[in-house]
Amino acid sequence: MAALGKPGIWWLASYPKSGNTWMRTFIANLLADGAAPVDINALDTGGIASARALLDEWLMHPSAEMSADELDHLRPRVNEWIHARATEARFLKIHDALRAGPGVPPLVGPASAAGVICIVRNPLDVAHSAANHWGCSMDESVERLCNPAHGLSLTIRHQGRQVRQHLGRWTDHVMGWAGIAAVPRLLLRYEDLLEDPHRHFAEVARFVGLPDDAGRVARAVAHSRFDVLAAQEAQRGFGERPEKSQKFFRSGQAGAWRERLQPGQVARIIDAQAPGMRRFGYLDALGQPV
Amino acid sequence: MRYLCYDLLIDSDLPLPELHEAPAVRLDGEPDVLIREGALPEEGSAYGQPIGPLAWATPRCLFMRAALCGRFLIEDGRRITWALAPGQDLASLRLFLLGSALGALLTQRGVFVLHGNAIRVGDGALVCVGPSGAGKSTLAAGLLGRGLRALADDVVALDARGRVLPGLPRIKLWQDAAEKLALDTQGLNRLRPGIEKFSVPMEDGAEWGAQPLRGVYELHVHRKDSVEIEPVRGIERVKLLQLNLYRQNFQAVQPTRPEHLMMLARLSGATRVARVRRPEFGFALDALMDALLADLEA
Repeated sequence: MAALGKPGIWWLASYPKSGNTWMRTFIANLLADGAAPVDINALDTGGIASARALLDEWLMHPSAEMSADELDHLRPRVNEWIHARATEARFLKIHDALRAGPGVPPLVGPASAAGVICIVRNPLDVAHSAANHWGCSMDESVERLCNPAHGLSLTIRHQGRQVRQHLGRWTDHVMGWAGIAAVPRLLLRYEDLLEDPHRHFAEVARFVGLPDDAGRVARAVAHSRFDVLAAQEAQRGFGERPEKSQKFFRSGQAGAWRERLQPGQVARIIDAQAPGMRRFGYLDALGQPV
Repeated sequence: MRYLCYDLLIDSDLPLPELHEAPAVRLDGEPDVLIREGALPEEGSAYGQPIGPLAWATPRCLFMRAALCGRFLIEDGRRITWALAPGQDLASLRLFLLGSALGALLTQRGVFVLHGNAIRVGDGALVCVGPSGAGKSTLAAGLLGRGLRALADDVVALDARGRVLPGLPRIKLWQDAAEKLALDTQGLNRLRPGIEKFSVPMEDGAEWGAQPLRGVYELHVHRKDSVEIEPVRGIERVKLLQLNLYRQNFQAVQPTRPEHLMMLARLSGATRVARVRRPEFGFALDALMDALLADLEA
């Protein structure tokens, strides 16, 4: 099969539980254009940027013997290296905030990106989805979304499959990626993808230079529908499900926060995340959740 | 100071407490390897083509940055020049020196080097390779707990007859793994300041000499509760061994070596080669060790 899409790294950037895996599944199915859905355990689109295996391939020394601060400084160089030598389109998932902190170079820039697809989801829904994913209480999940120091793979007591990822507060995370400079970027809301998948996934196809004819996009959308993914997980499991979580594909809806979150938890999120929520239309003019 | 490691007499201006000093009978010989401090530039474009974001190489020369700690220049399989970055510590630099820099030097010398660790089992060596995080070090430490001895850590070098050379006498263990094995990390050296990974020192294996390679096991995790061993046969053996050569990007700049092809043929004919899968959640260390040792004896 001829190479599809412009060579280089296409970043699939999102806060966790915001539709990133859905996007990867769509792209895998669009590339494959098969009669049956692609196996969710064989989404060979390019992996995740924080994978130790990917870093260990290029850092010359094991990432496990480097500090998380060192890796924050080295990862941008690895990303540039991979991008500059890519002979085909590679779709790399990333949950890190664009920048780990002041004085740390951004993980992605013009020298390491063909483009960035940013997927944003209402933090009120992210909170309950993440509680399940992280195996923590709703209160804890809400606090993590509001914590400027929040991150993934923070343990330094054993070696995980991924290195530390700084997330920070949800609002800073989404505003950071949305504001990336000098890189082609496509901003998508999870809720819009749910409402009109054919239109928005066709936009994705055009953005990265993949075939966008209605039939092919429709097949890829159908093969990456929530019920198809959930059925695959029920049958064969999903390798990306965390140990503490029963199911990775759990509900895939918008607005379920109304049943799942307590008023105090909603207020806490709105209070901490107002800039991003306003920017992406999750709050109305009166500051009420939409 | 002079040390013996991988049967190389190493003369170093940087004290290397991780290595055992060379025995008196070897002290007077011409050293095989010189390790010296020297001025090195920040980047290595003067030394060859880039082979990664932090390394430049020709077949006889490799310049690499050791994360943010410093730089190394490895030349002719004989000399390592080191430079410590301002504000960095020597323990960190030594970790990278005794890992990748030494591995690169062995590669330049044409030594067949596997990425993994080696344990002495009976009158031979069991070599465990596999992706980072599969649990190679925990497995090695577990086997040590059963009274076996470590031969080499991270860099497994074979001699011309395909035997495992005694290498770095230690095992590197994370805090959690040490606790799982009921090992107290209080008295152990941290590999680097700020990293909860410890060095478990071993007795010097140099006196044992090179050990026949009895088995190569590629360790993986899977989402089952069982430990499974799948023998690898035919040409797949050669592929598995090739894929586990030390750092593919070092190998890529090396000329094709007929002796390596001979070695691959020899190993794939004479050695057990298998893929081993252990549960991702819950290590099943005892079951894994039982299965491996039984397989080796089978």
